[in-house]
Amino acid sequence: MSWLTDPAGEFADLTRAEQGVTLFVVAFAIYLLFGLLRGTLDPTYFMFLLGLASMYALLSLGLNSQWGFTGLINFSVAAFFGIGAYGTALMTASSSPIAGGFNPIVGLVVALVVAAVIAVAIGIPTLRLRADYLAIASLGLAEVIRRIVLNEQGLTNGSAGVRGIPSFFEGWPVLATFPQSMPETTIDPVPGGSVTVAEPVFGIGFTVGQEIVLRTPFWRALLNVSLVFVFLGVSYGVLRRVHRSPWGRVLRTIRADEDLARALGKDTYSFKMQSFVLGSLVMALAGVFYAHLNLYVSPGDLDPITTFYVWVAVILGGSGSNRGALFGGFVVVAIREGTRFLNQISLSLDLGATEVVFSFEGLGGPMRLLLIGLIIVVLMRFRPEGLLPPQRELIWPGTVDEVPEGPDVGVREARGGSDE
Amino acid sequence: MPLLEYLANGLIFSSIIVLGSIGLSLVYSIADFANFAHGDTMTIGAYTALLTFGAVGGLGGAVLGLPYGFFVALLAGIAVAALVAVVTERIVYKPMDVGSIGMLITSIGIAFIYRAIIQLRFGADFTRYDVQTLRPIEWLVQYDIRITEHDVAIVLSAAILVTGLHLLLQYTDLGRKMRAMADNPELARVSGIRTERVKLWTWVIGAGLAGSGGVFLGLFNQLRPRMGFSLLLLIFAAVILGGIGSVYGAMLGGFLIGMIHELMPILTDYGIPIGTEYAEAVVFVIMVVVLLVRPNGIMGEAT
Repeated sequence: MSWLTDPAGEFADLTRAEQGVTLFVVAFAIYLLFGLLRGTLDPTYFMFLLGLASMYALLSLGLNSQWGFTGLINFSVAAFFGIGAYGTALMTASSSPIAGGFNPIVGLVVALVVAAVIAVAIGIPTLRLRADYLAIASLGLAEVIRRIVLNEQGLTNGSAGVRGIPSFFEGWPVLATFPQSMPETTIDPVPGGSVTVAEPVFGIGFTVGQEIVLRTPFWRALLNVSLVFVFLGVSYGVLRRVHRSPWGRVLRTIRADEDLARALGKDTYSFKMQSFVLGSLVMALAGVFYAHLNLYVSPGDLDPITTFYVWVAVILGGSGSNRGALFGGFVVVAIREGTRFLNQISLSLDLGATEVVFSFEGLGGPMRLLLIGLIIVVLMRFRPEGLLPPQRELIWPGTVDEVPEGPDVGVREARGGSDE
Repeated sequence: MPLLEYLANGLIFSSIIVLGSIGLSLVYSIADFANFAHGDTMTIGAYTALLTFGAVGGLGGAVLGLPYGFFVALLAGIAVAALVAVVTERIVYKPMDVGSIGMLITSIGIAFIYRAIIQLRFGADFTRYDVQTLRPIEWLVQYDIRITEHDVAIVLSAAILVTGLHLLLQYTDLGRKMRAMADNPELARVSGIRTERVKLWTWVIGAGLAGSGGVFLGLFNQLRPRMGFSLLLLIFAAVILGGIGSVYGAMLGGFLIGMIHELMPILTDYGIPIGTEYAEAVVFVIMVVVLLVRPNGIMGEAT
């Protein structure tokens, strides 16, 4: 059975929450596709959104491997994101005050090494602390890092930020000039014109199928998205593999009961440190991508609010669930970018003599904050395990899938009792 | 070297930190979680005072450069901060069963909700109370101390509030119950203390003091929706330094943290190249060191 041959059966096999999330994702994808076809959603902007969502998914994966698997309350996500971004920016940018001009691959390596060193430096004092002290201490140390980036002008250009960061593929054969060399491509979903649906459908008329022209910015965005997909794929694969290993089982034991892990003879401090460094590396990777996406980094990128966005993503998806972290990352970007449009909305009501105009100008920021706050509170109150809590993904596929389908053993029981 | 002025500024800033840290420490020990919404409770106090002061006006006379109306606004700030905290406790925290870490995360959500609502009404920009900006007190300038009557009002009001709390804790029935509960909640419960009611009063007192701290913070600096959240980590540092759960520890911790924060210029005067822009960073490092070396703080009992 697979999704291709028997989608209905696979769907029925999911839990209710999984069904809900699947339907939501499909509906949202159709909505976006519809926007693309109508021409209201610019393909380049769509690619940008996809890249941003993948970046948040990457950050969520990093935090998930710290909080979800090991139970480390790390409130310094933004700091490691910033270290990744600044690490590569300072190595590659033309305006870098210290090095600059290196190949982005060098930037990537330097950023990851610096992130690992700082993760160890932060981990040494804080990982011995009680869980809630770790939260406070990591938030404090993240703030220390932000202050250093903001104030050490000679090192980081201070509040002016670093400009002139090259794209990640600068200096690569073919890929470096890929966006420029691609021809202007025209996609015409409905040959020779467009389809206009007037009133009948839901009382709303719309037109689909205008020509979509893909130019250089689109190809550049496509390249960026491919890059972050590679980052995301590698991180997801590695994390999935290690979390199923004996090492990952120790981490989950620490999360459940640290004293128990210690009683079993595990050096929990060392395991926590490894998990902390691993997660921080994934966060720094997201930062590296961001620097080469945005081509400009500033101390504002280390604002603690990023940390809490990522926390919302992980809690929403379900702590300890990697696919939940992916889903959460996408939802957070939907909130972030969705509230941005609030600023442009204004309603005007014509009440006879007087016209009432509601404008949401300037309300995007607080509405975003309100939404994030409400999600946190409602989730913790009614569904603290998140929307997609870890289930089968913690079980080796071999233990349930490679059971012989023959009649001699109780197949249903061996497959995990799916007929309960 | 204007050491006296640094000390005077330290005293003023300490007063504000102390008002914030007492409540945080009380709630930390009695409700058993790190309340990240405490800073934004201070912001609520400040903005309530702004609204009230705008509504009631000066009311005639003035004490220490502050119109009577401002003291009415201060009381309103304390009352609303306490009310908001109690309502939040009843509808959000109380029905929850997610452990202290879950509560911590929830309180971050609460903090965002408070701040978002304030920002929706007042915008993200700086505002000030409509009180006259004063010149430094004349006779202190000769000692190189430049503080205004407003600053004196902050320190005096904080001293009155803290003394009031001290009397409450030492000489009233409620105070004894609160101390008993902070010491050992289970023991307090079995000896017949109505812990729920004491808990409620703890929230009232803690949030009320935070509200007053917010009002004074707005007077000392300016008002902006982020003011409380930005101060929160300093308050945590004070609470941890003093020892979580100890009210007197929070007072001492708040005093020390406020002083260290304002005495930072001395470092550069002595040629140590750490500027005032790192004042908060230095405090956070001290906080981490305290957590490592003496996690129970100065006044906390060793376990």
